[in-house]
Amino acid sequence: MNETLLERIDEKPAPPARRPVWSRIAAATGPATGAIAGIVILTVILAVTQPVFLTWGNITNLVGANSVTLVLALGATFVLLAGGLDLSLVAASAATGMVFGLMLQSGADALPAIAVTLLAGLVFGLLNGVLTSYARIPFLVVTLGTASLFASIALLLNDGKTINVFDFPGFAFVNDFVLGQAFGIPFILMFDIVLIVITAVVLRYTKFGRGIYAVGSNAEAARLNGINVRLTTMLVYVIVGFTAALASLVQVGRLAGAAPTFDATLLLTVIAAVLIGGTAYTGGEGGVGGTVLGVLFLGIIQNGLTLTSVSSFWRGAVNGIVLILAVALGVARQYGWLRFGRKGR
Amino acid sequence: MTTPQPALIRVENLVKRFPGVVALDDVTLEIHAGEVLALTGENGSGKSTLSKIVGGLYQPDGGRILVDGVERRLANPHAALEHGIVLISQELTLAPTLTVAENVLLGRLPRRGGAIDWPETRRRAAEVLAELGVHIDVERRVDSLSVELQQEVEIARAISTRARLLILDEATSSLSEGATLRLLDIVAGLSARGVAVLMITHRMPEIYASCSRAVVLRDGALAGEAPLPSTAEHELVRMMVGRELLDYYGSRVAAPAEVVLEVDRLHTADGALKPVGFQVRAGEVLGVAGLVGSGKAELAMALGGAIPARGEVRVAGRPLRLGSPRRAIAAGVGYVPDDRRREALLPPRSVAENISLAWLDTITRFGFVRVGAERRDVSQVVTDYGVKTSSLDKRITLLSGGNQQKAILGRTFARGCPVYVLNEPTRGVDVGSKSAIYGYIQRLAEKGAAIVLISSELPELIGLSDRVAVFHHGGIRAVVAGADLTEEVLGSYAVSGTRPDEHPSAVISTGAIEPNDTPTSAVSGAGRTR
Ligand SMILES: Nc1ncnc2c1ncn2[C@@H]1O[C@H](COP(=O)(O)OP(=O)(O)OP(=O)(O)O)[C@@H](O)[C@H]1O
Ligand SMILES: [Mg+2]
Repeated sequence: MNETLLERIDEKPAPPARRPVWSRIAAATGPATGAIAGIVILTVILAVTQPVFLTWGNITNLVGANSVTLVLALGATFVLLAGGLDLSLVAASAATGMVFGLMLQSGADALPAIAVTLLAGLVFGLLNGVLTSYARIPFLVVTLGTASLFASIALLLNDGKTINVFDFPGFAFVNDFVLGQAFGIPFILMFDIVLIVITAVVLRYTKFGRGIYAVGSNAEAARLNGINVRLTTMLVYVIVGFTAALASLVQVGRLAGAAPTFDATLLLTVIAAVLIGGTAYTGGEGGVGGTVLGVLFLGIIQNGLTLTSVSSFWRGAVNGIVLILAVALGVARQYGWLRFGRKGR
Repeated sequence: MTTPQPALIRVENLVKRFPGVVALDDVTLEIHAGEVLALTGENGSGKSTLSKIVGGLYQPDGGRILVDGVERRLANPHAALEHGIVLISQELTLAPTLTVAENVLLGRLPRRGGAIDWPETRRRAAEVLAELGVHIDVERRVDSLSVELQQEVEIARAISTRARLLILDEATSSLSEGATLRLLDIVAGLSARGVAVLMITHRMPEIYASCSRAVVLRDGALAGEAPLPSTAEHELVRMMVGRELLDYYGSRVAAPAEVVLEVDRLHTADGALKPVGFQVRAGEVLGVAGLVGSGKAELAMALGGAIPARGEVRVAGRPLRLGSPRRAIAAGVGYVPDDRRREALLPPRSVAENISLAWLDTITRFGFVRVGAERRDVSQVVTDYGVKTSSLDKRITLLSGGNQQKAILGRTFARGCPVYVLNEPTRGVDVGSKSAIYGYIQRLAEKGAAIVLISSELPELIGLSDRVAVFHHGGIRAVVAGADLTEEVLGSYAVSGTRPDEHPSAVISTGAIEPNDTPTSAVSGAGRTR
């Protein structure tokens, strides 16, 4: 080689990088790419093969059937973003549903019954929150334990029996709300949209929301920059408790009854929806938009199975496979196929 | 240009693009067996990208790689390893939950009869580490180690493989002077055995001590190449930054001012920091020197509220309740930790969110973040502190290491605190930006901040500090100022706790046991103009 000192000081302006269209789309849609692609593909297939699919009736049906999942998933998004997980949310929802049923049974008006139910949800959430953040017990242990506890409470409240609430005076309001509509638009859809907007705004535009992302990204860095990590963590579980109670109101409203037991696959569906939407299970990344897409995707799958009259027993299998594929795609997208186990926090 | 033997590695016309940036633009270079080549250049000039391509972590968008004159595709780190290419990358890649021994021999754990031979694993790991001068329990989990020790484990892992080309991407940036010297010795040994070493570093003394040639990148392109040591340092620096760097440390005019930070009997319960006391005036920089484990890190963390501590600290006369970062921030302490990854960054978040994190309160009204104000303030920081990024919304971990550091410093400096505690603020930062950061520190002091600067780079301490407190065995061994402020004196106190000679001087030894004998007030550096 030439051993003399050679220099090139001429500055070249960087030409803009050219990338294929699909890769630019993937970059723009971020970690929810998989969910979006899934929704588009399924919608096209179902729209072509099932004429009912795109009817307004089917769409409102889809919304109604997935509202409980959506409400729970919105709460779960908070806790996953903060780097935690709540395994007790479905059990908490069953227990608050029983509280609601009992309140109605006792002849309470709708509003006090709703208030007490929401309060119960807050208390359940507070229990999880205090145990994880202030008592510093690992969240998996805490929420596994409280899942069992809440499931028991749900059974104990009415001796394991379902409460049929249809004839109670307080129920009419809830029933009207959950099943009613105005100008052809179901109230429940409006409710979903309002809840989506509120949670999105809280996460993106409030200091509390920023704190959640910070805690989930790197709790120590958050702490050193003045974020109250314990309070943030605790509140996140309180929010989950609150959404669990909200979901139970919707559920009781739809079924006109409060059941002490619950669908075991619901917890998985909820968490799968959040993860499929691109929220990282390690925290700090993702958001409400992705969760909505995740719920929509799983909802469309379910709807498709029903329309094509495939046994609903397939639901769990399909959800599981979709979840693994979506998360695997996300991991691969982020770290490249050949980088292994490098994510440390 | 005819070489009898093909180069060990030759990269030709390498191009690598990322969204919004050309990280490598037509780079050609060769490394021969036994050569120690320095690769240097500003932050974000593409050094790590080049090393990752050669290490098989990234694929180039253009150009080719020749190993022993034969074109090869290095599809993954494993393929690179098969050609004897070992990369120690800038971000540590250890498995945090495994032990030191497992990490050192990861992927090559010795076996006996199918099962892993644990005694042998421990023995070999300890042996390699001993060669680096590190004596730690190899059974410890890696995540319980300091950054420096983690870096040593990473180096041990690399040198224990049969490398033909060892790439050290800023491997020394988190090492102390002693550890750096030992590593450079090992590099010399490897090179004598015919191993090629590609050293990426921003530290001039290391380049001159070890390398026979330097290649300089600027904005992804080759900016020049220089034989060493025959090329003068200022020439090399000019190639890197494109201009002469005059007045490297800058200067400040500081008037005598009131004491802002008072520390008395500050200590930790575990004894890592024994009671220390000192005062820092407005406009003053107190340097802190010491080896790893000397207590200097604990001092920084205690002042920043990162760890529980006892004793008295007053900021502008008001007592600070220790042990809470939130209270420290409220009292006006701006703390920059040394472990960027672990304590400063939010890895999945954007540049903007990482920066505004430090002052969320000031841009929040009724709980809502004022997004407009946030964008404005963040872009101000990015401009003021020269953070090179293609967008404010880019994930912070996609910035080059030095630019991450500038973002972290910028967010804290922008807060306008009366007291700053800076732990290794220029780690991984290029020469030009270092000089800029020194300038910022001078400006902060000039504006009346009291600054505690903890650094393992003695020239930096000497260039910026009015006084330097040297830590030894958990306490302040001496406070050095004036003509005594030399590498020799500081080094001697740090290593052995004694002066190198017998001259009477402005040095005052303090038994760590008598913390009330506040050494600092005796030697006042205030009012000095440099
Ligand atoms: N994975 C990535 N995605 C997007 N941009 C990247 C990625 N890796 C690097 N870059 C960009 O490429 C440029 C070169 O980065 P690189 O890390 O190679 O710099 P460097 O010379 O190692 O700098 P430093 O001295 O700060 O470590 C930077 O502008 C950086 O932001
Ligand atoms: Mg780099």
